[in-house]
Amino acid sequence: MGVENPAEQAQVLLRTRLCNPNFIFNMFSDSPDSNYSKLKYIMSSSVTEACNNSALLLGPRGCGKVATLEMVIKDLLQEYPDMICVIKLNGLLHSEDNCALKEIARQLCIENQLVFSKMASFDDNSQFVMAMLRECGLAHKTIIFVLDEFDLFTQGKQRLLYSLLDAMQSVTSQAVVVGVSCRLDADQLLEKRVRSRFSHRKLLFLPPSQEDLQKILQHALLLPMESGLPPQHVAAYNKKLLDTLSDDKFKDIIESLCNSDSTFNHLLRFLFSAVCQMDTKSGFLSLDNFKTALSSIQRHPKLEALQDCSILELYILVCLRRLEVKEQETTNFNSVMKEYKSVHDSVQTTDYYARNVCLRAFEHLLQRQLISLVDNRAHSQSVEFRPVRLLISSHELHQGLKSYRSCPAILHKLLDRGV
Amino acid sequence: MSEEGNPVTPKRTTRASLSCTPNPEKVKSCKQQPLTLHDLAYGDESISLDDLISSLPGRRAQINELLRLLGPLDSPMYPVFVYGGASTGKTSSILQIFKHLKRPFVYCSCITCYSPRILFESVLNQLLLHRRNESNRYSSTKRCERPSDFVNHLQEALRNVVDSLKVRSSSKKSVLGKMVYLVFDNLELAREWDKASIILPFLFKLYDILKMPEVGLIFLSNASPDTYYSDTGYVEPLPVYFPDYTEDELRQILMKNQENPKLYSSFLEVVLRPFCRVTRRVDELSNAFSSLYQIYVEPLDDLGILPSEDMKRKLFSHLQPHIGPSLNDTFKVESRLSSEASAKTNKRKGIAKKIGVCESSDEIDFHMSACAKYLLICAFLASRNPATLDASLFDSTGGSNNRKRKRKSSEKSIERKETAEQELLLKGPGTFPLERLLAIFQCIVSVSECLPDEEAQGDGGLEGESWTNGLMSDVLLELSSLCNANFISKGGSCPLEGANRYRSMVSEAMALKVARSLKFPLAKYLYRGLT
Repeated sequence: MGVENPAEQAQVLLRTRLCNPNFIFNMFSDSPDSNYSKLKYIMSSSVTEACNNSALLLGPRGCGKVATLEMVIKDLLQEYPDMICVIKLNGLLHSEDNCALKEIARQLCIENQLVFSKMASFDDNSQFVMAMLRECGLAHKTIIFVLDEFDLFTQGKQRLLYSLLDAMQSVTSQAVVVGVSCRLDADQLLEKRVRSRFSHRKLLFLPPSQEDLQKILQHALLLPMESGLPPQHVAAYNKKLLDTLSDDKFKDIIESLCNSDSTFNHLLRFLFSAVCQMDTKSGFLSLDNFKTALSSIQRHPKLEALQDCSILELYILVCLRRLEVKEQETTNFNSVMKEYKSVHDSVQTTDYYARNVCLRAFEHLLQRQLISLVDNRAHSQSVEFRPVRLLISSHELHQGLKSYRSCPAILHKLLDRGV
Repeated sequence: MSEEGNPVTPKRTTRASLSCTPNPEKVKSCKQQPLTLHDLAYGDESISLDDLISSLPGRRAQINELLRLLGPLDSPMYPVFVYGGASTGKTSSILQIFKHLKRPFVYCSCITCYSPRILFESVLNQLLLHRRNESNRYSSTKRCERPSDFVNHLQEALRNVVDSLKVRSSSKKSVLGKMVYLVFDNLELAREWDKASIILPFLFKLYDILKMPEVGLIFLSNASPDTYYSDTGYVEPLPVYFPDYTEDELRQILMKNQENPKLYSSFLEVVLRPFCRVTRRVDELSNAFSSLYQIYVEPLDDLGILPSEDMKRKLFSHLQPHIGPSLNDTFKVESRLSSEASAKTNKRKGIAKKIGVCESSDEIDFHMSACAKYLLICAFLASRNPATLDASLFDSTGGSNNRKRKRKSSEKSIERKETAEQELLLKGPGTFPLERLLAIFQCIVSVSECLPDEEAQGDGGLEGESWTNGLMSDVLLELSSLCNANFISKGGSCPLEGANRYRSMVSEAMALKVARSLKFPLAKYLYRGLT
């Protein structure tokens, strides 16, 4: 790499940090009442006292459930080497019992340097897993099962969950089952026989508070002195950053960001986007960077799609809206065309096009998802006859028309007048 | 499966780059030698940033934004979601950017990889530098159907690639860097897949699942991120928006690669504005303009001429009568074409066929047997008319003009008729059982037998009743071929009767055309008249 532009180097450093969730959640590991310490207590007790345990980590997406769990596991692996074996499953990948069991067997084989047979049947695998559980229990080795997207494992007969939790009822085994889910009612999804075997320890992960936010911002963005970057650059950068962070305008930005979504992940994406905007010449993060990052993250896809429409497509949307105001029960292309014609008859516009052209514009709208077909079942009918509905509100349509560069004034009138 | 014979070259062309000069050397070289890591990136030819931006007019802001998100060499990135309407240069921009950056990447489009398995295998083939050819019987390296297998293979493959990239970048100054990028194009199509509820969240979460900072994910889609519904959600990628081109940008794009820019720009001055009101898609506009331009330059002998003001005016007046009609039939040539324009239909037919059933000019463009034509008309009638009126419409006297006139007189019935018309517009053509179709067919054929100068195409020698009886088996055959051609759709069976129900899919204009070719008085038999 060599000594390059310090600004670029700093940018790479910041990007690496922001893309690594463990870095961010490290700062919460020291406080005693954090989820980190609770989880660590549960899991380490299972390792030291040779008992079985189960826990659920619940909370909205992007609040650091998996990151915290990974940190705990990493620490435990360091503290108790050779006493822990981690099996990771993901509901998106292994929600099927057969597949999940195979994956468990595969990971167990890798951990213990055994030969994994792809041909093993469900029965073979389940016997193998049970035997491994027993053996590991006898050897005082704890197996940690991490079930990400736990709610997806509850689909179907829950055989996997049952056999895992049932095996943990015996004295000989030594295992921890940790489920991670963004559904707060994940434990209610369990069958009765599974639920009764579950320990009902639940840890709730919440979006960060205001103080935490401030801490994260500094933690993530301040450059360290001992990173090989030129110290005067680091000092200047940090000073500028602290100035920016204490700016009132910056606080407004953060507030509007958190109003829509206040999870860690959202914040990190915002910071990442801001770091990407960083000027590589000066190498400082300015308030403008954060502003552009905010606007690039908070997008209004429907309004954007409206800006992309041609005039004819806008006419069709306005006609649809007028039909909506008239409280017609179902609308389809033909009724829109009727309205379009009547609009044209009442006010002579230059934008009157043939049915074919309108149909194509209508299909464009469908593609843009500004309108959608009401039901997707009736495939025997052609598009003209299938009922559609508008996917944008009248407010959005108003706003979109207003910001459209060369919107014909007649469209506003048609929309306002209603009938 | 078969469309990805060679994983490197054919897939990395976009519509925009296809029009540019292809590099034959590269194609040849990669057919012979085994693939190396360098083949994951674009080869020797590279383009500067200025070339990159000037090659894609109107996309400067988007390219800069993408470059910023991709960052300097070896910097990790969040997944990026690029979206924007059709033909706004998303794919070309991404590919050109990688050409500029020369970083290794894997490109997969959900159009060619139309199922999860093919998508997974295509990614793995490219990463494992595997080329499907005759010697390996066009098979993939790994067979994986499930996302779980894919993740395992992918992790392994990526680790190998990243490791060798690392070795490379540490040993000698290599431009490749340590990052590998996966590009998934046309993601909106994946929403229609069978297991979309699993695959889409999986793809969006792939970055978290892989836990490899050396992997960059880029999704391209022409649907905005809010249309990817999922019941428990996922962490969204960073959005990058490609807006549709504005009029000025369209002009810049269309001016590219023109032989006579002055002449073309004077042409665009005339046509671009009105066409922009209808559509702003480059592909549609360039199609429409290519035929219009031919008309525009028709009076000129020398295409290299520099147009003077006077000539422009002349050319404009020559073109003007064509603008209005072609505005209304871009891509779909309509029946009310002026006579001189219909001479041009041959040229436009290619365009028309692209869009759908082509209904150009007064003639039907395809051959159909008389029996099929009659069937088509019968189906049309059966779909439009209420079944209860069949008896009165097709009674022995033939036609029911008198009765219809009587009914028209009362105001109430007119009202009723209007609501019924409304209903027809909303509901579309109705369904009918096979028996009704056959009954109408028999009535119509027997009526038209009586008409003079009918059946010039043979079959005329036979007597009415026997003729239809003889045709009966053929009728069913014709019906099934009409169904296959989607003129008549075969719906699900009715729960009460158990028999299949049919529905006519042809438009009124089409039915009229068919009727005209048979000299059949269609209007007489339509209960609600023609709209």
